[in-house]
Amino acid sequence: MSAVALERRPAVQARVIVALAQRALAVQLRRAQFLIPALVLPLVLLAVIASGTSAGRNLPGFPTSGSYIGFVIGGALLQGALLAGMTAGTAMAGDIEGGFFDRLLAAPVHRASIVLGRVVASLVVGAAQACLFLAVGLIFGADYAGGVLGVTAAVVLTAMVAGAAAGATGALALRTGSVELLRNFFPMVFVLLFTAPAFFPRQLLSPAMHAVTRFNPLTYVVEGIRAVLHDDRALGSPAAGFACAAGLLTGATALAVLAMRARTRGA
Amino acid sequence: MAAIETSDSSILVEGLVRDYAGVRAVDGVDLEVAAGEIYGFLGPNGAGKSTTVRILTTLLRPTAGRAVVAGHDVVSGASGVRRAIGVALQEASLDPLMTGRELLRLQGALHGLRRREAAARGEELLERVDLVAAADRRLATYSGGMRRRLDLALALVNRPRVLFLDEPTTGLDPASRAALWREVRALNADGTTVFLTTQYLEEVEQLAGRVGIIDQGRIAAEGTPSELKERLGGPALHIDLVDLGRTEEARAALARFGPCTDRPGGGLRVRTPEGARAIAPVVRVLDEAGIAVDAVEVDLPSLDDVFLALTGHRAVEEDAEA
Ligand SMILES: Nc1ncnc2c1ncn2[C@@H]1O[C@H](COP(=O)(O)OP(=O)(O)OP(=O)(O)O)[C@@H](O)[C@H]1O
Ligand SMILES: [Mg+2]
Repeated sequence: MSAVALERRPAVQARVIVALAQRALAVQLRRAQFLIPALVLPLVLLAVIASGTSAGRNLPGFPTSGSYIGFVIGGALLQGALLAGMTAGTAMAGDIEGGFFDRLLAAPVHRASIVLGRVVASLVVGAAQACLFLAVGLIFGADYAGGVLGVTAAVVLTAMVAGAAAGATGALALRTGSVELLRNFFPMVFVLLFTAPAFFPRQLLSPAMHAVTRFNPLTYVVEGIRAVLHDDRALGSPAAGFACAAGLLTGATALAVLAMRARTRGA
Repeated sequence: MAAIETSDSSILVEGLVRDYAGVRAVDGVDLEVAAGEIYGFLGPNGAGKSTTVRILTTLLRPTAGRAVVAGHDVVSGASGVRRAIGVALQEASLDPLMTGRELLRLQGALHGLRRREAAARGEELLERVDLVAAADRRLATYSGGMRRRLDLALALVNRPRVLFLDEPTTGLDPASRAALWREVRALNADGTTVFLTTQYLEEVEQLAGRVGIIDQGRIAAEGTPSELKERLGGPALHIDLVDLGRTEEARAALARFGPCTDRPGGGLRVRTPEGARAIAPVVRVLDEAGIAVDAVEVDLPSLDDVFLALTGHRAVEEDAEA
């Protein structure tokens, strides 16, 4: 036996994180009601948009590159990522309420690994979901001028948002331990979406809304997603998108790790 | 700064206190469990058993006092404690959507095992607790007994030196209970120290080398089961009279044998160190007084009597349905 505690051995903790992420994914797949909002809502949205009013694109100021579906798919990716990431928080609160968390805490596991397991699982879900949505978008007639590189970048950005949402809601779960509270938090997704120009270009928003969107980091992420998908810098800045996504991911994960520390110190 | 003065697989608790907002759940507990012992922690609902277990397994911090488990302080050496112990909590912390096999492998990973090691250890334990056939079923479909067995298997993944079992047989049928007892004895025979809480007196009589009786957060008594019984002054005789109207006369006549109390259904109970040997003299004395005896029975004291004597109430109240 090594003298170094298991918690302090990176190789061991990497295995722990992978095992916890695997478990999170397996359970999430089996919990159909968790998947439905994350998958169905954005797909319905895509379908509605594809079949119905695409009048928006005739408005002045609307970007011309790509089809309308190709434009809104960025919003759909963002929405799916937020919803999928939120289920991580709900699942964590469920673990706390149901006592599964005690099993993790009683094991010689670094407290941050427990958080990272959830975040990593959400990165995977976010990426898988992004691939699915982009494929559906293709079926409905979107085209991605950014090519493989652009699509990959969009997938990565989406995954980062899902991971960030997992970190943020995980922090809430760790603070409150309440599934109920996490469920009530669900509408926040729409506030976040509508204060980011998820489905319309920023220029079309009212001046007040326009001002608000500037303070929502998701604005830059969704614009970055569009920019890489359509290889069009007029739609947004990929660098700003990645910077914001990375900031959100690390910030939210740090929040969750701090919440974990507060929870175990105050036990 | 792990305390080293204790042995590797023992438990030392000093002045342990735990408050929950306004409630003192554990109120100055001192105890010591030697390596290789089975220690029974016996107490009614709300006595503070689970709170103590949660402190000893690093899940809760003590409000005051200290505890050393397997040579590590539960606060400053929590990591060492976690590595050395196995825990089966009262509410088996299982995820209903996982299968038994998956959970065992996850538990192995949590204890630092590599994928292949975790899988092998999982198979070994599935066999040990007889869950091979159910290994790929979701835990939601497991019976109470199966869950307990799996929970025990999970607690054994890291071959713990100290095993904590919080009410491991509550809700089990007699056969499952006996099977679990066998397993605990076997683990103990292999050198595992066991700290076991229970509300069942029979359980500690069956398993424990020493017993601590906890009531309202305090240790009310401690000792081997037989030491505790001795404190009651030996066995008692239950005497049923033909004519209940003569109970007071009988009581006066029997006073010299030992403390004499009323039995709930009528009749008397005389506690006497003589036990069965006192039957003949008791009957003779009553006969000489002209009091007809219906029946005499020897009642060996149970821990329940100890409990009643020490705490003023029974260990398990009639309404108990945990
Ligand atoms: N999280 C908590 N918050 C507040 N009070 C608590 C909490 N957990 C336990 N208590 C209180 O602490 C006391 C001891 O509880 P504990 O669970 O340790 O008892 P126990 O002996 O395990 O009982 P049982 O046999 O019912 O499991 C009880 O009065 C209980 O109500
Ligand atoms: Mg309890």
